[in-house]
Amino acid sequence: MNSSHAFRRFAFAFGPAFAITYVIAFEQDIAMFTVYPTRLLSFKTAQYMQDVTSANGLPAMHWYGWMATAALGALTIGVFAILIPDRWLPWIWQGWVWLIPLVAMLMCVYFTLPMLRN
Amino acid sequence: MATALLILHGLVAMALLGAITHQAVAIWVPLPTRPESFIGRLRAVSSDSFTNAVVVLYVLSAILGGIVYLYFRVEIKPVLEQSEHWQTISLFDIKEHFIAIGMALLPAYWVSWQEILDREYSSSRVALTMMLTFIVWYGFLIGHIANNVRGFGL
Repeated sequence: MNSSHAFRRFAFAFGPAFAITYVIAFEQDIAMFTVYPTRLLSFKTAQYMQDVTSANGLPAMHWYGWMATAALGALTIGVFAILIPDRWLPWIWQGWVWLIPLVAMLMCVYFTLPMLRN
Repeated sequence: MATALLILHGLVAMALLGAITHQAVAIWVPLPTRPESFIGRLRAVSSDSFTNAVVVLYVLSAILGGIVYLYFRVEIKPVLEQSEHWQTISLFDIKEHFIAIGMALLPAYWVSWQEILDREYSSSRVALTMMLTFIVWYGFLIGHIANNVRGFGL
């Protein structure tokens, strides 16, 4: 397996894996860290975050932490994808690379609907 | 500082919008012969030549947007919340989700355009390009709505 072949596999696994883990991180509020913008880049690592403000009543941002959580998960799955035996590849449909992120996007809309309906 | 970053973010987003729209039109309705009209020339561009530009502009735009988002959260969102612009806020939240998912698709998008002669990748290439085009247009429009929410009378 050459490097471009390995990167191809990684790239096609990373997108869908990120989409899945991002939706989970967003829905379950699993942020690797939280940013308090008024303190600029103050982090709390590996916390299951509630939608609360900090002790000073400052806004807390989880979006960066959700992305970091999703990136870590996708990175792990992407590395596993490189190791999949070639004989399994014909069984993996290439359309998952766009279908899974599309469903993930729709789920993000669904989870945001309660606020959208206000 | 925030205003300068926002303008820069808007300019990069405009360039990205142009690049990915060119590419999307060229693969959706390709033109086999030499075109005469403006629309014809738009359809006839070499679509693969935009790939690297799209990737770089998307990442740059997302980074700038990520920085501007800090100011938005502190200075703009509380105002929107107080004035009960819940739809604008939620549409903006959806934009952030879409941008994050879109950024993760960039490696597969890039690979699918490198393998342009490989038919195996053609459907993925079209689908990923169309998804990124939708994400970029959605982000651009919602960004403008959020930025000019009072002007829209929402």
